[in-house]
Amino acid sequence: MPSSFRARWLRRLAVGIALTSLTVASATPLSARAQHSRATVNLTIWSWVPKLDTAVAVFNSTHPGIHVTWDLVPALGFYPKLETALKGHNAPDLAQVEFQALPTFESTGSLVDLSKYGASSYRSKFVSWTWNQVSLGKAIYAIPQDTGPMAMYYRKDIFDKYHIAVPKTWAAYAAAAATLHKANAKYYIADFSPSDPGNFAGLVWQAGGRWFRINQQAQAWKVGINDPASKQVAQFWQGLLDKKLVRTDPGFANGWYHDAQTGGLCTWISAVWGANTIMVNAPNTKGDWRVAPMPQWKAGQHVVGNWGGSTTVVTADSKHPKEATLFAEFLNSNLKSVDKMVTGAQIYPALTGGQDLQSVNAPMPFYGNQDINRVFQNESRYVDTSWQWGPTMVQVYTDWQDGAGNAASGKTTLPQVLDQVQQSTIAGMKKQGFSVQQ
Amino acid sequence: MAGTTTPQAPAAAGQTRRSRRLRHGWATPYLFILPFGVLFILFFIVPIFYAIDQSFYKTQRNGLGLGAATTAFNGLANYHDVFTDGAFYASVGRVLLYGIVQVPVMLGVALGLALLMDAAAIRFRNFFRLAFFVPYAVPGIIAALLWGFLYDPQLSPIVKGIRSIGFGSFDLLGSGTILWSIANIATWGWTGYNMLIIYAALQAISPEIYEAARMDGCTALGVARYIKIPLVAPALVLTAVFSIIGTLQLFNEPSVLRAISNSISSSYTPNLYAYNVGFGDNNYYYAAAIAVVLALVTFIFSFGFLRITQRQAGV
Repeated sequence: MPSSFRARWLRRLAVGIALTSLTVASATPLSARAQHSRATVNLTIWSWVPKLDTAVAVFNSTHPGIHVTWDLVPALGFYPKLETALKGHNAPDLAQVEFQALPTFESTGSLVDLSKYGASSYRSKFVSWTWNQVSLGKAIYAIPQDTGPMAMYYRKDIFDKYHIAVPKTWAAYAAAAATLHKANAKYYIADFSPSDPGNFAGLVWQAGGRWFRINQQAQAWKVGINDPASKQVAQFWQGLLDKKLVRTDPGFANGWYHDAQTGGLCTWISAVWGANTIMVNAPNTKGDWRVAPMPQWKAGQHVVGNWGGSTTVVTADSKHPKEATLFAEFLNSNLKSVDKMVTGAQIYPALTGGQDLQSVNAPMPFYGNQDINRVFQNESRYVDTSWQWGPTMVQVYTDWQDGAGNAASGKTTLPQVLDQVQQSTIAGMKKQGFSVQQ
Repeated sequence: MAGTTTPQAPAAAGQTRRSRRLRHGWATPYLFILPFGVLFILFFIVPIFYAIDQSFYKTQRNGLGLGAATTAFNGLANYHDVFTDGAFYASVGRVLLYGIVQVPVMLGVALGLALLMDAAAIRFRNFFRLAFFVPYAVPGIIAALLWGFLYDPQLSPIVKGIRSIGFGSFDLLGSGTILWSIANIATWGWTGYNMLIIYAALQAISPEIYEAARMDGCTALGVARYIKIPLVAPALVLTAVFSIIGTLQLFNEPSVLRAISNSISSSYTPNLYAYNVGFGDNNYYYAAAIAVVLALVTFIFSFGFLRITQRQAGV
């Protein structure tokens, strides 16, 4: 190469290297520099809960040495994003994880055992089934935040119009379904949504089904997705599907909202957070809805299921697990912080003390001035405490959705779907190396 | 001898000057490609090799598995699973069926529109060229969402209109029709794009051929059939190959419509299946195997098509 040409190239290369190294050097994280200057501990939490910053601010103002930042990560695609971050070892210090997803994240080995930092002392503050689900033996993997006790939202105006009594048993519910649809073919008692496996799981939870059990001695899982109680629930809804007494629109989509607004669904067996869903998406039905306890399988029984609810976890990538645990405990147990979450996001606290908060209990004009949260508070006492989630819930839910979609189109039946999901779950778990007891 | 050497010296000097200039500029084309090349290698080539590498492993757990898992070498077992996976075959079969119908229909319409636009008697040519291209400019996800509104039996003006005319209501999202509803969305989006490619190829045809044909007494339709179409055959092959590749990778529309239809399973198309296996079941290794097999299938079909048409058209 001619020397002047080479010299020009070397000069350009040197400038390029200098520029790149300057850019890299200036890109050191703000928090690292802040740490050097103020020695504050900086934490990040990923959560989809709206207006969480108001609750986080309560913590920040009372803990001068720790600063927590909330990253709003939308619920859609949240878990894949968190899993990828955990795999890449750049996950946030804290994250929101729903109860049914906890075992999945526990099986990544990336959740910090909070009992090492004294979390066990918080046990008595929370609803007992939530503490069961965040613990594994002596280890504690999350702090409960909110729950989803279930009840029945129903259209009082339509029930009154056709003289239908609020059903207290599932048998009465089926009878009401027939009466209602016969009286007016536009009205259906409910919509069976093939895209909401969590709803179905809640119904099975109420019926006493147990999809997963842990055998501590054998260190193995027992899978019972098609156990008798689950089959009972499946047969019940299949009956309604066969008689065409329920619609089959996928939930939380436009067709479903249209149903809520027009009597296409006159009841919704759903969780406490569903109140907001109806309010926002069926505004024309203001004053028409009320809340009553879920129908029971046996008259006089009082058992309730749960749909949803989430927790706060600390990830293994956190450089300050002690402070992160402190924040998780404070966020979910300090009354002021919980109050902010209630007013900002309408969550129903897992903190037993939080369930008596003023902001939680108030007559709601949309629901005809009924204090609906008192109903849920009472119902929440009867939630079965022994429900256990499995380590592959996304696969279980996806398989259930596929099957339920086919059942809604008439290609199969819900009891058969449960058998299929049982097979595919056991096969999937064994493939991933989990011990499954047959 | 002085007379013979002197003319050589200036010639030799000129040659060194020219070759110096050649060697001086050798790096310029590579420098222009470098930014694209680096990004291409980083975000395209490297992940492909990473995926191929990942497809040879599996997660290993024992007992309850509620702790970190280890990764174990799995050889070709993942590929064996893909080839014995009914859901995978069903999804490939589905997109092939989709492709056999949708690609010829779409290219037929694109060809027809391009020929019409090339016709001498057309007015407002630029307006039509833009109008036919506009659907392509709408991002795929947004188009799928909008079509979702038009398909939803409760909200769709189309369904309501047909019902009011008296044809009864039919479910555009039902299991018998959902595949063709998706094909409709893709056709609307891509016809304009393919039409532009074919139209550009039509512009490259020398008008002298048309004059000669007219002098021989050829009608406009004859010109289209015997001259234009054969001469744009390379463009048709190109658009067909692109369409085949795009069809086998179908993902956007099923994934968006899944929220409003009961007839789209998690393994409706191979790409959707790989996505759900990877990000739903967290079985990245199996998802990588599915993706590699899908890439091979796409490779076979697109190159197979090229080979067949090359042999026939002699291109």
